[in-house]
Amino acid sequence: MTGWLLDSHLMQQRSGWTPARVTLAQLVALVVPMGVSLAERGSAQIAVLVTASITCLVWELAFDLIRGRSLSFHTVTTALIVSVLVPATVPLWQIAMAASFGVVFGELVFGGRGYGIVSAAAAAAGFLVFSFAGAGLSEPSESMALATLPGAVLLLWGGLISWRVLASAAAALIAAELTRQGASGLPTVLATAPFGLVFLVSDPVAAASTQWGRWVYGVLAGLLIVLFDTLAGSAIAPAAIVFASLLASLFAPLIDHVTVTLIVGRRGRRHG
Amino acid sequence: MLPWFRTEHARLPEQTVHDGAPVGRIALLGADLPGLRPKLLCEQGSRIKRGQAVFHDRAHPEVVFASPISGVVESITLGPRRSLSALVIRRETGHHEPDPVKMAMSSATAVRAALLANGFWPAFLTRPFGRIPAPDAAPEAIFVTVTADNPHAPDPRVVLAGQHEVFAAGLKALALLTDGTVHVCQSQGADIAAGLGDRIRGAFFSSGAASGLAGTHIHRLHPVGWGRSVWSIGYQDVLSIGRLIETGIPDCSRVVAIVGPRAKQPRLLRTVAGASLQELIREETVTGTGGAPLCVLSGSAENGRKASWLGRYHHQITLLDDAPKPVNTPERGVMARFRRASSMPAPLVPTAALERALSLDVPVVPFLRALSVGDAETASRLGCLEMVEEDLAAVSLACTSGADYRRMLRHVLDELAEDA
Repeated sequence: MTGWLLDSHLMQQRSGWTPARVTLAQLVALVVPMGVSLAERGSAQIAVLVTASITCLVWELAFDLIRGRSLSFHTVTTALIVSVLVPATVPLWQIAMAASFGVVFGELVFGGRGYGIVSAAAAAAGFLVFSFAGAGLSEPSESMALATLPGAVLLLWGGLISWRVLASAAAALIAAELTRQGASGLPTVLATAPFGLVFLVSDPVAAASTQWGRWVYGVLAGLLIVLFDTLAGSAIAPAAIVFASLLASLFAPLIDHVTVTLIVGRRGRRHG
Repeated sequence: MLPWFRTEHARLPEQTVHDGAPVGRIALLGADLPGLRPKLLCEQGSRIKRGQAVFHDRAHPEVVFASPISGVVESITLGPRRSLSALVIRRETGHHEPDPVKMAMSSATAVRAALLANGFWPAFLTRPFGRIPAPDAAPEAIFVTVTADNPHAPDPRVVLAGQHEVFAAGLKALALLTDGTVHVCQSQGADIAAGLGDRIRGAFFSSGAASGLAGTHIHRLHPVGWGRSVWSIGYQDVLSIGRLIETGIPDCSRVVAIVGPRAKQPRLLRTVAGASLQELIREETVTGTGGAPLCVLSGSAENGRKASWLGRYHHQITLLDDAPKPVNTPERGVMARFRRASSMPAPLVPTAALERALSLDVPVVPFLRALSVGDAETASRLGCLEMVEEDLAAVSLACTSGADYRRMLRHVLDELAEDA
């Protein structure tokens, strides 16, 4: 396989993304939301963070040992997202179970990050809500929404998340909320949705990977969020975003397939 | 793409043409001629004149490859599967240079015969497949690339300054080879191809990523596919053809930009196609940081190849610090298992950065996935026939996988060309 790799001099002066740089950028983007969640929920949240991180790293270590690879620390981003989503009231063993399920069945069994089909953090959060009675996700606050912004800007600028997904998901969400409740609920929607939209729905591995497909995927995710939202009032239930993200990413390959068929058809007409 | 990840901050070349150091040896390279099997017309030690054929294509004996200088054949090395690796010619002075002949270039057959006989036919590359066209083929259009494919390349307007008549003669000759249009693709500015009839048309491309690549021009103006074929040719080759018509002398001189962090003074040099880079850059380098060895690329930093000879289609020489060799010390124990190089090729993370890197209207991620598994049929449905290697250089650099999609594309194109 070495014949298919870039030359060493090209690798050296590569200005683009490598898996390690992707991890690094996502970690940087997650630093501020993590800080806000620690500040809001106090020291109990540290236990959540440590539990999630250790669980994720142990699983990654195990898989890397079996596969003979070097440790990539990708799963730390998953651990950070999970510990922002999960409140400190959930027992730590439940968090460990959920994080295990997320990293193992969300990405590691497929070969690691970039090979899976869903966002590992969404899989972990979904598992937690489904499996344990009474385990809920924490309600995002306004300051969490603000804290998401710098990371979102960084990821958008680097091209790690697509503005098409973000814009279409937000537009679908806002339009559906407007028809449901009118304009009064909008500020609450805007405060509760951003973290999930940026770090779960827009995950490049889970989202659709064609330009038109990203629009469709975003709209689908936005509508599913409204559909799954069980809370009365205008706040978005965090679980709704998690399940919408999971379901939408299962549809992403189908969306891509249809998009590619359309593009090929158009090319056929244009190129004769 | 994040700016702090960019490692090459090289100065732009000074856009004035200087005479390069005289080179004593040139080479005709097999690396420029993928899939070509040569039939040699000379042997080691033969004396040859400028413009004399040294080998021809086994499949098309009319397509000859001519020597750009007069001299002695120093060595001929063959590569795998009877392909050519390099044919090196040493310059000998005091040779009788061929006499200038005024050529009659009024008919299509005369132009075709003159270009074939003087070794200018390989200047054309077909699209699809990026190969030298068959001697009797007629393209639907000809694309003259008068754009620089990156900011470090020579500015075509500087190279062509004062030679517009010669260039126009070359363009008129090209127009005889096709019933379609000759598209003269250039950057914004005065039309170089103005007033040459309605079949020679100027097309303007604003600067930006990939706007200098022939693939982008063809995609916008005349998309190709199965059964639709166009040719592309570089502006310096059109200039050479113009000179052949005006003077009768086959002139293969090239203006190349010498750039990169190790270039003493980035500028334009006049030399000859296939020139020995070692001789050309002897006075042009500076010592690297920490005594790093020099890495000489024929072509741009993005798209070039490590070479000791200037490539047939290259207008640029990039001098870089060589990458340090990976230290390979065997380790034992548990920790050794984590110090291995990360698995390669790495996964393809479908980031939006990939779309920015490919300017053609192609679904990038499905396309790259098809290339990675060598699925020629899907790749051709998604548009690989519109591309050659240079179009995928930026994507290869932007992708997380670290795979060289150019080589994968060549593999797929070769497979498709055999079916065609």
